[in-house]
Amino acid sequence: MSMMEVPNLGTVYSGEELGRSLEGSSGKAFSRRARLSFYNRTFKIVCIASAVFVCLILFSILLLMGRTGILTFETVSLKTFFFSTEWVPENEQYGAFIFIFGTIALTLLTMVISVPLSLIIAIFLSEMTPAWLKNALRPVLDLLVGIPSVVYGFLGMTVLIPMLRSVTGTTLGDGILAAAIVLTIMVLPTISRITDDSIVAVPKKFRDASYALGSTRFQTVVRVVIPAAKSGIMYAVILGMARALGETMAVVMVIGNTPQLADALFKPTSVLTSNIVMQIPNVPFDSAWNYALYMMGFILLVISLIMIVVVRAIQGRGVKS
Amino acid sequence: MSTGKPSANAISGSHPFAARRSMNQLTNKLFTGIVWLIGICTILFIIALLYTILQKGLPQLDWGFLYGEPSEIEEGGGIGPVLFNSFYVLFISLIISIPLGMASGIYLAEFAPANKFIAFIRICVEGLASVPSIIFGLFGIVLFVESLDLGLTVIGAAISLAFLNLPVLTRVTEEAIRSVPQEMKQASFALGSTHLQTIRRVLIPVALNGIITGICLVAGRAFGESAVIILTGGVTSSGVMWDFNPLDPGATLAVHLWYVQSEAIVPDARLIAEKSAAVLVFIVLMINIVFRVPMWLNARKMR
Amino acid sequence: MKTKWFRNLGLAVMALSLTFGSVSAVSASSKLSGRIVINGSSALLPLTLQASNEFKKLNPKVKISASAAGSVTGPQSVRKGIADIGACDWDASTSVPGFAAFSGQVANKVAVIPFAAVTNGSVGVSSLSTSDLQGIFSGKITNWKDVGGKDAKIVVVNRAFGSGTRVNFQLKALNGTDFMTKGDNYKEVKSSGDMKTAIETTPGAIGYIDLVYVSGSKMKAVSINNVAPTEANVINGTYKVWSYGYYMTKGQPTGAVKAFIDYVQSSKFQNGSLKKLKFIPLAAMKK
Repeated sequence: MSMMEVPNLGTVYSGEELGRSLEGSSGKAFSRRARLSFYNRTFKIVCIASAVFVCLILFSILLLMGRTGILTFETVSLKTFFFSTEWVPENEQYGAFIFIFGTIALTLLTMVISVPLSLIIAIFLSEMTPAWLKNALRPVLDLLVGIPSVVYGFLGMTVLIPMLRSVTGTTLGDGILAAAIVLTIMVLPTISRITDDSIVAVPKKFRDASYALGSTRFQTVVRVVIPAAKSGIMYAVILGMARALGETMAVVMVIGNTPQLADALFKPTSVLTSNIVMQIPNVPFDSAWNYALYMMGFILLVISLIMIVVVRAIQGRGVKS
Repeated sequence: MSTGKPSANAISGSHPFAARRSMNQLTNKLFTGIVWLIGICTILFIIALLYTILQKGLPQLDWGFLYGEPSEIEEGGGIGPVLFNSFYVLFISLIISIPLGMASGIYLAEFAPANKFIAFIRICVEGLASVPSIIFGLFGIVLFVESLDLGLTVIGAAISLAFLNLPVLTRVTEEAIRSVPQEMKQASFALGSTHLQTIRRVLIPVALNGIITGICLVAGRAFGESAVIILTGGVTSSGVMWDFNPLDPGATLAVHLWYVQSEAIVPDARLIAEKSAAVLVFIVLMINIVFRVPMWLNARKMR
Repeated sequence: MKTKWFRNLGLAVMALSLTFGSVSAVSASSKLSGRIVINGSSALLPLTLQASNEFKKLNPKVKISASAAGSVTGPQSVRKGIADIGACDWDASTSVPGFAAFSGQVANKVAVIPFAAVTNGSVGVSSLSTSDLQGIFSGKITNWKDVGGKDAKIVVVNRAFGSGTRVNFQLKALNGTDFMTKGDNYKEVKSSGDMKTAIETTPGAIGYIDLVYVSGSKMKAVSINNVAPTEANVINGTYKVWSYGYYMTKGQPTGAVKAFIDYVQSSKFQNGSLKKLKFIPLAAMKK
């Protein structure tokens, strides 16, 4: 059982010594109790320290992005940065509206496609398939998470875009639709697997009660199982959304990277992440351009934090009612 | 929590409800049909996707490719050192992130009082999960390359990767421990265990399945991650196999795949990219299977 | 300020490498040791990787780590003191459009890089004049039939602003004319590999790339003003779209860094691996 050792890593010394102390502890009961409570306290402190550490990382990142990003506004006005659609670094014009809009539009479009699809796949996995198929499908879905985004991007560029081009007859094919399809494939496993887990966690008695009242499977799933699993589904949607918001390497290969407003499905455009990754290698360090890119990174973080708070708030209300 | 309107099924044969009933049966059939259709489409799609990735590369794999050194000029370059680096970086990053992630997950699930501060920490963790990997890369540069002046190293890449993995591990551990039935915990306390003993002997073993699923997800994602490592580990490897020095340059297989796909000028770049992608996917599959074996064993033991 | 701290650090590193240098000057070259960090242009990365592989075999005690982002990253990392060599597609000690000069840095020429305008294989145009290219890349010419091809829409594929290849192509093939920046038939890509893939898979596409990457029938390098982009034409001076690749260093290189640059500039490497990588040796241009 080598795997059993893994969880102990966090408490390597305390855990092992505790084991030893238990073996040889027939004698002094008092010191043993003191020791145990000492270990307990130490363990708790280690845990708290880790949790705080995770938060610290987020704050150092926010600080890093914000500190550099804020310098943008020495040369660019707030209004220009947030509402201008002119992003021309050659002429020192830094309006980020196109990218902010693009990010939100792309994320929403991805969610519109992927959430219903993932929900159906989760229902398929949890309610309808025979056990052997479940056991085969679940690891495979997990596997899809591990395929490098470069590979998804490359397939998007060489398979998906020519396909879109021949189906719709557009000249280029790049744009938010192509990006949303690639992202859907990337977030599908995440959303459907977590939803699947939370649907499985709905107590069987709920379903039994529903069937006993004469409901069909459709009614049971839609009116009983999904509402009961709502909190888990929300969490799945947050995670999927976070991944869609932050995905870079795949998006940059299919979105076209042109600073123009995404007002059509097949217009090459750009989002926050793709613009950062396209331009950060070529940017002079002490320039408004560089600061503006860091500001965009900061905004990306803020957008995802806001979305998480909003979803949490909706979820909180749902739980209370 | 029941169906709002009781359906007519129960009163079989009663005429006033017959129309309604057949409607219900119809929607039900339609629903089942659609779900099966989409389910089967998904399965076919996944098979097609894996086939596209594996079919080009996997048949042409040989030991020379897996073990050989990358070549810039001649055909037939291998991926030995970068493949080794992949495992090495993954190993170090897991050593760092698993204890930290689990400890903070345990804190959130077990010790944390339900107040505003904890809600805040939880939002932080989720927020960190949504940070794009390129930003972790920039963070890694500032930390390891600029402040500590280490250059591009295995250790820098591994730690940056560990930061990337922390939030997911934290959340997964928290969820897994929360889903352990209260009765088990209470039984443990009733037997006089301390909190630490309960966590170590009861909660973690029971929650292990969930935690291992989380580790699988994280390991897979880390294995395929390139943006972070290009910035913190570089695009070179030390060029020799079994180089355990953590201060050597740390390009991994995913980085090599990116490099071959975007800059390399060897004549067989496309082939190397296909083979590397196949190896990557195959290894992620293996990670998923290998990590799950103890899980299945554990599940059998629990029964 | 933080930059000052970096500068001090840079000085310390330099002092350190100086000591290393003086030590190594006494002993045999195989006893050379130290650490070289290279960053910058991705177009020069294959050359850097190959050279560092060979150099490491000769000097096992020297550690070389290389990464690449974009040309300007090179001289910037050198200025910050986080890299010893900054690979750059232009001479960064002088200013080019969009980028100021990096003072105090020495540009060491390492290779000649030819560039080519490339089209999708199905386009059927074999030569374009400078004004054709200017019209196409500025978005004024939008159909291939206007430049002697068949009736098909032109799709312009560009590199991101700041890319070394873009700087050189704009200067030398378009005589400095601005690129178009918007449109339904315009996209930008992140790397040479992406450029190659985009050109190969998009009907009617035109872009530009290092000549090294041109191969196969799906992508075609066009002649510019009826001069074909070949090594011979670059050497005899008729094909103008090429540039030197540079290794930028802080001051004159010393120690291991100097030894490495010397190795890259040596005729053994220039006429051996560098030629095999399809760059053009420096010596060929000095005629």
